[in-house]
Amino acid sequence: MDLKALKKQESKRKISKGYMWALFCAVFWGIWYLPGTVVWVLNPFDEMYGAVAETNGDAVSLVVTAVLITAFNALTVMLALMVWNGVLQKFGELGRTLKEFHPCSKWFFLASIFGGPVAILGSFMAMGFIGGAFAAVAALLYPVVGSVLAYYWYGEKITKRAAIGIVVIIIGGITIFGGGLITELGAGEVPWIGYLGGLMAAAGWGIEGAIAGKGLDISEPDVGLTLRFLGENIIWWIIIVPILAIVGFPMYSFAIQAFEPLTLLVLIFAGITFGFCYVSWYKSFPLIGVGRGQGIGNLYGLCAIIFIFLFFGDVPQWTILLGGALCVAGSFIMFTEEAGELETLRGE
Amino acid sequence: MGNRPLKFRILEIYLDEKEHWNYEIVSKIQEEYDMKGDYHRDSINFDIIELASGGMLKDIEQKVDEEGIYKKGFLLHKYVITDFGKVRGSDACLRYV
Repeated sequence: MDLKALKKQESKRKISKGYMWALFCAVFWGIWYLPGTVVWVLNPFDEMYGAVAETNGDAVSLVVTAVLITAFNALTVMLALMVWNGVLQKFGELGRTLKEFHPCSKWFFLASIFGGPVAILGSFMAMGFIGGAFAAVAALLYPVVGSVLAYYWYGEKITKRAAIGIVVIIIGGITIFGGGLITELGAGEVPWIGYLGGLMAAAGWGIEGAIAGKGLDISEPDVGLTLRFLGENIIWWIIIVPILAIVGFPMYSFAIQAFEPLTLLVLIFAGITFGFCYVSWYKSFPLIGVGRGQGIGNLYGLCAIIFIFLFFGDVPQWTILLGGALCVAGSFIMFTEEAGELETLRGE
Repeated sequence: MGNRPLKFRILEIYLDEKEHWNYEIVSKIQEEYDMKGDYHRDSINFDIIELASGGMLKDIEQKVDEEGIYKKGFLLHKYVITDFGKVRGSDACLRYV
């Protein structure tokens, strides 16, 4: 075969692999909202919610229960990623990267602060108080946060096309949040904490992405993501859960009760889907570009709505459907600007 | 044996600002880190592809691997470090050189 034909074949192979990884990401990410929603009605978490609510009220109880759920989510993601790194024989690289704290791994630990206690906790709060479809679609606002941050932080330009995308996403966001709010204001009861959770998910993931990128571009993503979850586990299990226990919440007594088959199964399911959605997301970037990878990855919002409909039979409010569609469309507008330029995504 | 993350080492090699073929780098890393076998070969090559897609290396020339020095019938790529790669590479590596 001649050079030209081989080049074409190679780029075709790269692109189809990249789209495959990005789609995997969307599917896994979307599925994650199933165990994430189900876990709330399983023991020990529903008992915990009831017990804490009696003494401290619904709002505090929701956040404290969400902390324990998020901590378990981090633990099972870590387990899934350790298996993944074992299969790929990357433990050596994991150790080498961990040691490079200053140039590299500190970014993962910093990113985990925004990813864990902000984004994932917020997602669980939104799932618990409003629902999986809302939680999924609200987080679609994260590219807006990410690109605004990159603008102020790295001085990255926001092109006209990206600006249009951002506006479309924001209109989508207003539809999602506003639609629900209007209905609930009419009914007289607004689950503010759920909405706060939705905003936390979007802001947290936007910030996480901007920070983690600093370490990920000079490390292997499989390894970098594992370190990011190592950071999150440290935050939950060594800092926040013990603090809440000291303050008087029954963290450990309920944590131990999580080790029953059904709850564990759901948590492991959450860990596997979440761990692999992150991994496959980053695998797609070098093959089709960060833009297209994120654009297709954002189809997770659609996947989540479909899976929630299939498994729970829930049809979300029309405002969530419309807002979600706008957000997905906006992210495609934003991210597909580098069409034709597949080899190099930055600089030059 | 190599004790720094693979991408640090790859950038470090390219920091000499010379052009290097991917197969030269891959076999050098395989030797330094004692990573034998086709699986590690492809995995190291993917690291180079990731560095290029991150804008730190630039793919400047391709040729067909006729003799099978790397992978027979596949493309070989020649890369050179970019300005952005120099910045990121020296942040990460130069303190140690």
